Amino acid sequence: MWAKMICLDPRTKLFMVLTVSSLAVFITNLSLLLCVLLLALAAVAFTGGNPLGLLKKLKKFLLIFVVIVFVQSIFTKGGQPVWQVLNFTVVSDLGLVRGLQMILRFFIIISSAAIMTTAKPREIIQGLVQCKIPYELAFMVTIAIRFLPILRDEVNDILTAIQLRGVNLKQIPLMKRLKTYAYLIMPMITSVLLKAQELSVAMEMRAFRAYPRRTSLRTLKMQKQDYLIIALCFFVFLLVVVLALKIK
Amino acid sequence: MIVLENVSFCYTADNWILKQVDLEIANGSCTFVVGPNGGGKTTLGKLMAGILKPSLGDVYLEQQNTKDLALFQIGTKVGYLFQEPERQIFAATVRDELAFVMDLKEMAKEEINKRVEAALERFQLKEVENSYPFQLSRGEKQRLALAAILMHQPSFLILDEPTTGLDLERKEILSQVIRQLKEQGIGMVIISHDEKFIQNHADRILMVDGGEVKDVG
Ligand SMILES: Nc1ncnc2c1ncn2[C@@H]1O[C@H](COP(=O)(O)OP(=O)(O)O)[C@@H](O)[C@H]1O
Ligand SMILES: [Mg+2]
Repeated sequence: MWAKMICLDPRTKLFMVLTVSSLAVFITNLSLLLCVLLLALAAVAFTGGNPLGLLKKLKKFLLIFVVIVFVQSIFTKGGQPVWQVLNFTVVSDLGLVRGLQMILRFFIIISSAAIMTTAKPREIIQGLVQCKIPYELAFMVTIAIRFLPILRDEVNDILTAIQLRGVNLKQIPLMKRLKTYAYLIMPMITSVLLKAQELSVAMEMRAFRAYPRRTSLRTLKMQKQDYLIIALCFFVFLLVVVLALKIK
Repeated sequence: MIVLENVSFCYTADNWILKQVDLEIANGSCTFVVGPNGGGKTTLGKLMAGILKPSLGDVYLEQQNTKDLALFQIGTKVGYLFQEPERQIFAATVRDELAFVMDLKEMAKEEINKRVEAALERFQLKEVENSYPFQLSRGEKQRLALAAILMHQPSFLILDEPTTGLDLERKEILSQVIRQLKEQGIGMVIISHDEKFIQNHADRILMVDGGEVKDVG
């Protein structure tokens, strides 16, 4: 596939993520947000990710969207009622718009993060370091990315295990809720601490930070396509901002 | 009794880990599951325990389809010991670990104490009853997890690689526990590579490889 042949510099990918996610934060217009989401998905496909699989995963969050619409409608004043029950506004147009904005932003940010997952962790460190970010910070970022899937599996197992003990998580009496959550958090925190401990020993043994300056065998070099894409991002950013100002 | 009827399973579309498996596991017997790493042993165990639901086909626990059972209902029928015991330990002391679910369900204090004492005794955890569970040795963690699971008196137990990381002495303790459980008529499915352990306890051996499950002894 042609998408596989284009191997972008991680810094370019980072720039794409920054462009798309900052657009998501600034823009309020719904159709523009939708455009940005489509752009983000296109970027995911372009960098070799799987936008369809991503959309399927995002489907799970639709319930949250529904909740947000209700909450926004009930608690924000103003706006025309769309659905009323006994004179009480359950869904207002303002609530609907705000809810849609939130979910679109959320989708955009998640999709743009998916661009980063197509870069190799080692490359991301190198990219960040060459952007003059301290190696320690860059290393922390990659650790976070590296451990997320493991933590997810672990949380799944922990939730399963406590339910198998006969605790019905969907129906805990109100008074017991806090206590039950405390029991759930225990294994999660412990596992993170243990992992950190093991990792720090492993790093120590490889003499992490033993010398003030690190040199790298491999250095990243921006290619023509990288400059092209960054320029394109810049252009798209300006275009969308101008559009957003015009529509207002 | 656990019955698998024409069970197929995939985590992601079209990547079948198990294909059309038919199985019956009788109560009171000890079945071992062997096979290469990544062959699907853990997946099979989780399907039997109702933690995973089959993509195609049905799994029955004591005649009830696991699709109709919520996890908290399954716990009284099947106990499941995870490959990593840390993932099923929740409390700050060993004693509380054994008691807290009964506590949440507001059982009488004396009854809870009685059961906890019995479990501490049986699993040789009395000396560490006030320790922080995460600082126990692997064998102790595992016994603690097992003891906690058995507080619910399940009629079936599924153990995922219980002997990894245990020395000979700890393995012997585990063997004793398994023998006792067998005498009580509790059915067991044990995932393991440990040949000696298998020889000591197996009534039946299943081989999981390439999506198929075969009886091999
Ligand atoms: N949560 C999961 N999501 C996707 N694939 C998984 C998951 N868990 C296991 N697998 C895959 O299923 C296959 C069987 O895994 P598993 O049942 O853990 O094997 P075993 O226990 O025999 O080592 C492996 O190829 C593994 O990569
Ligand atoms: Mg396994």
